[in-house]
Amino acid sequence: MNDKPLETELLGVTLKNPVIAASGTFGFGREYAELFDVSRLGGICGKGLTLDGGAGNRGVRVTETPAGMLNSIGLENPGVARFVAEEAPFMRSLGCAVIANLGGHSVSDYIEGARLLNDADIDILELNISCPNVRAGSMAFGLSPGSAADVTRRVKEVARHPLMVKLTPNAPDPVEVALACEQAGADALSLVNTFLGMAIDVDKKRPVFDNVYAGLSGPAVMPLALRIVHQAAKRVKIPVVGMGGISCARDALCFLMAGARAVQVGSMNFANPRAMLDIIDGLARYCEENHLENIREIRGIV
Amino acid sequence: MAVIVQNTEIAGGIYRMWLAHAPQGNAGQFIMLRIPGALDPFLGRPISLFDSAGDELTLLYQVKGRGTAAFAGLPAGAPAEVQGPYGNGFPLVPGDAVVIGGGIGAAPLHLLVKQLRAAEPNRRVEVHLGFRGEAYAIEAFRAYADSVRVDIGGVVTDGVDFAQTAAYYACGPSPMLRAAAKAAGETGARLYVSLEKHMACGVGACLGCTCQTANGRKRVCRDGPVFDFREVADER
Repeated sequence: MNDKPLETELLGVTLKNPVIAASGTFGFGREYAELFDVSRLGGICGKGLTLDGGAGNRGVRVTETPAGMLNSIGLENPGVARFVAEEAPFMRSLGCAVIANLGGHSVSDYIEGARLLNDADIDILELNISCPNVRAGSMAFGLSPGSAADVTRRVKEVARHPLMVKLTPNAPDPVEVALACEQAGADALSLVNTFLGMAIDVDKKRPVFDNVYAGLSGPAVMPLALRIVHQAAKRVKIPVVGMGGISCARDALCFLMAGARAVQVGSMNFANPRAMLDIIDGLARYCEENHLENIREIRGIV
Repeated sequence: MAVIVQNTEIAGGIYRMWLAHAPQGNAGQFIMLRIPGALDPFLGRPISLFDSAGDELTLLYQVKGRGTAAFAGLPAGAPAEVQGPYGNGFPLVPGDAVVIGGGIGAAPLHLLVKQLRAAEPNRRVEVHLGFRGEAYAIEAFRAYADSVRVDIGGVVTDGVDFAQTAAYYACGPSPMLRAAAKAAGETGARLYVSLEKHMACGVGACLGCTCQTANGRKRVCRDGPVFDFREVADER
């Protein structure tokens, strides 16, 4: 038997296992590193960065929904320069793969941010063209194949790290966007970011969020996300990292069987900080029970 | 895993939950309480500590939405997932203390009064509690406080003398905190307020509860929930 049944290669990086903390749900690892051994994770995607940083949105930022949650954080972050100086070295010390997530309000923001991140000790650059919570940019770039391909191409020209583009499920045809990003030079794709949703405060007769619409995540969206990952993974040749509502090892297996090379776990970290460890243990058990040399044997079998 | 010893309604929509095999915490800290394994309700709920002794915790909570409604239905003997305690808690400032609570905001102040008394048996601890309707938990405060004034339906801060040489502590609805801050601002009193925000993680990762302070953005769950009122003037 292989003694590393969960070891997964992603863009030249060897992950201990295919379980990665999703951007925006894990900070830069500092808080959860106090609660459990984060070196057991496959990797960590840091909080979404913007070139100059920002305070995020005003008003209510999170609210629970049936088996899920809506968020409207709005990319509160310290900016790329401070990430490079302070957060990336800390993430590197945690002992798992380090992925920086870069958002932007304009193409030039993305290019400049990517340039600055060339100086950071990270393994992969995740290009966030899918955050629904900022007024200008971000998800706007991910809604159409043309704009997604354009920003992917421009960032790929300057970035020295492998480039993984994070896609939105809110595009009219996410698979067309996936194909366009592949064509434009993306090395991998991660999907899906949150689904655009809404909450209304009935007593106050107004939207719960100042930004009106917000991103839905959590177990409620899992089947929706799985469908998109399945369709995209069947069409593109580059690696796909699947996510959306994963709460247990069986959910993670669904995404792997649908064609994902690795998975990201997001909202579930909030509900149960140890959820990813349970998922990793569950995947290892699955390999053992099913006599798999490596988890890749089930990749895309559905 | 913590176990519910008792979970009873003590006033309209107000429940007291007594937990065994729970972690110990300080006044002003909170736990994330969750029904083990549940995906709906999904997230833990931040609940402050009404009392903490050894491995037993007592919580007071108000049924406000689906999460707390689900808690209210939990029977004695049921397991409960307790994460934490999290947050900075109240500073136990030496000397006399004036404690002001509004509604369910009284919950963390009970453990505060108990710990103030334990730290300095001879200090004077004055408690003012305001309720919209029915009052609750008053006797529990009387066990540790020198005086407990209860205000029903009025403005609880109107009855507080902010010119004393004492540390002031407040937890309650925003209008109450604003009134306390205004009064403390006029007299120069030292006032600590405990803020409440929607939280997803409780540990400082999701940034769902950040607030603007005089010292930049801070996370209510991790850098708070207790702040010097001057630091969070923009938030109240």
